[in-house]
Amino acid sequence: MSTQFAIEEELKQSINNAFRSAKVTIKRQGRINVEFRSGILPAFVSYLKEYLDFKHLVMMSCVDWLEDNEFEIVYHLWSYDHKVHIMVKVRLDREKPVMQSISKLWDQAETYEREIHEMNGVEFEGHPGMRDFILEDWEDLPPMRRDFKTREFVDKTYEWRTGREDKQDVRETIAKQYDTEVPDFKNSK
Amino acid sequence: MMNIKGALVPFSALKFLGKKPHTVRYPLEKKDTAQRYRGFHFNDLEECIGCGTCSTICQNEAIDMIQLDGVEAAKGDSGLRPRVDNGRCCWCGLCVDMCPTGSLSLTDQYLHTSPDPDSYLLIPGKDNPEMKENISFVKSDSEPLLQFDRVPMRELDGAERVKSFAEVVLGYMQEEARAEATRCVDCGLCVTACPDHMHIPEYIGAIADADDETALKYIYDNNPLPEMCGKVCTRQCETVCAIGHLGEPIAIRWLKRFATEQFPDPAAILNPVIAESNGKKVGIIGGGPAGLSAGYYLALRGFDITIYEALPKMGGMTYAGIPKYRFPEDSLDKQIGYMEKVGVKMVNNTRVGKDISFDKIRKENDAVFVGIGFHIPYTLGLTGEDLENSIQAVDFLRDVNLGKSVDIGKKVVVIGGGNVAIDAARVSRRLGAEVTILYRRRVQDMPADWEEIEGAEDEGVHIVPQGIPLEVIGNNGKVKSIKYGMAEMVADDKGGRPRPVLIEGDEHILEVDTVIGAIGQEADYSFLPKEVMDELKIERGRMVVNELKQTSIPDIFAGGDSVNRTADAISAIADGVKAVEGITHYLLDE
Repeated sequence: MSTQFAIEEELKQSINNAFRSAKVTIKRQGRINVEFRSGILPAFVSYLKEYLDFKHLVMMSCVDWLEDNEFEIVYHLWSYDHKVHIMVKVRLDREKPVMQSISKLWDQAETYEREIHEMNGVEFEGHPGMRDFILEDWEDLPPMRRDFKTREFVDKTYEWRTGREDKQDVRETIAKQYDTEVPDFKNSK
Repeated sequence: MMNIKGALVPFSALKFLGKKPHTVRYPLEKKDTAQRYRGFHFNDLEECIGCGTCSTICQNEAIDMIQLDGVEAAKGDSGLRPRVDNGRCCWCGLCVDMCPTGSLSLTDQYLHTSPDPDSYLLIPGKDNPEMKENISFVKSDSEPLLQFDRVPMRELDGAERVKSFAEVVLGYMQEEARAEATRCVDCGLCVTACPDHMHIPEYIGAIADADDETALKYIYDNNPLPEMCGKVCTRQCETVCAIGHLGEPIAIRWLKRFATEQFPDPAAILNPVIAESNGKKVGIIGGGPAGLSAGYYLALRGFDITIYEALPKMGGMTYAGIPKYRFPEDSLDKQIGYMEKVGVKMVNNTRVGKDISFDKIRKENDAVFVGIGFHIPYTLGLTGEDLENSIQAVDFLRDVNLGKSVDIGKKVVVIGGGNVAIDAARVSRRLGAEVTILYRRRVQDMPADWEEIEGAEDEGVHIVPQGIPLEVIGNNGKVKSIKYGMAEMVADDKGGRPRPVLIEGDEHILEVDTVIGAIGQEADYSFLPKEVMDELKIERGRMVVNELKQTSIPDIFAGGDSVNRTADAISAIADGVKAVEGITHYLLDE
């Protein structure tokens, strides 16, 4: 065991003793990443909180791995004693993203979960009050999903300011300048 | 006892009245805004090229490209500039990060209130020139969103190259081409520089989408010799590429080459629709890029086309002048074969004026297109130039390309700095000679492509810049050595480029077996009968034509090196394509 990462190594050992399936990597001093399966996540973070002193939930976030068809929820925990930051990452099926709420362990998780629910469309089981967060009466795709088309949304939501009618398309302008016509082979198949 | 403490405590605050506050600064100092604050846009109008990438990337459609007074369109500049709707902008900064020139930035100014909704439209740089001092958010150098590095092209090694005439550039593989094509921001500025105004963004987009068939259709729409251009084009498009301002330009030429090389027979993809014969005949003199281009598109329009070529094969300078390591013959054959399929009749080994008269061609056809190129070399004007083994680069390259054996000995000097000179030097290296290039100006003044110059140096060609040949010295009628003097560059008073002036007494003698002259060519008009010559307007060796390539004689059209000043293949193709319009207009009155 290298002395440089003594605390981190020790924590890694403890985590793996309790949860064999947790994939722990030490990123650098004071920074540990854990990849974990989603099923018993609350049990795992509760273990971190109660036994390993990760008392502070810094924040929660959600990453959209569109190509893998998965969401990734990231829990950032901090231990004042060890001075170590842990990132717990769990992957969810993108088609049916359901996660258990951890608001019983940290009250502030309630707010993060509401935000992730609204922006990415992840359901949190056991959340005490899943209401609208910032968006009101949102019926579209959750906006932070990568397949949400911002431009289309903008087009149908906002009206055009007057005085913008003189805008030009660069490609068309150039074609006109040189008196050429650009055929459309792309859509004529 | 009654507790009156609660009633008195508030009055104890009175004692602070006499104290000086130490937490409030007075008079109030304005705090600096945060570093990299994202406020109003600022645009350097001089640096901006109007590519419209900011407008394309904006997810809120807040940016319009508009015409501005005082901004003119030019090569590499669309003449448009961005205008921002600050009612829509969300200050994400994507436009700044995607700006290929770095002209667009965000300032630390963010206050604007007005009852007039139109005042929220801001033309950065024009409406707020004073904000130049307030720039705070500029594009990130460490994490650029644009890809500035070109996918490297695989090439033969210099030492390997000189052993044979094998093609030097190996071409992109599938994945390399896709990766290179995705670097394009799809602005279309390249089109402004291309003499033929090819549909460049469209075909690069198709290559990026892995749709090479569509790419080929776009390419063949106005260039019937794209594989040749993909290998030897002077690619003026790349000199104005938006990405080229801060990084390496998109490899447009090599992407075109990639697309054309995917299909052994273009006819199978293009399925060209050949119009029904319209009964008109057009004779084309010279089977170079200009003549072939005119012939191909005229044939598609139902004209009866015959091309007369003096050499055993079509292609003109691209066949006889460009060495095979740059443009292999099978690639040329493929393209000529396709044209024959379309119905272009080709008559090789027929020199007009000798094997067939110009008058006969003119009589048999309704119009004539002249694309004769520049094949007669300028002489050096030195004593001893007429010695044996003092030869001309164009003749030398033609003989080598046609497979004749040429004896140039062990040591060769090439005089000149253009592409022809470099070609002659590199071919001589491949024939096993030690080669020196003598050029009267500096290396950076050489008109040749820098890639060619670099390639020659890689292959061991020795370049002597600022060397002016003075005399070719002979022995028994053969070249023995060349005397040259070194020159210094003197600034031109009239504002032209610096002139080389001989340094007195700084003369050298170089032992050589062969002297190859390559200082330029001119057209050979000897095939034209006198009465045509009298009527035909020629200025400085070039035929004078109008917009549609019509000469001063209505039924004679012309194009290629003997007409345009750029004298490269793509200009010749452009001339041919334009002449198609001219000839159609002239013969069918359309």
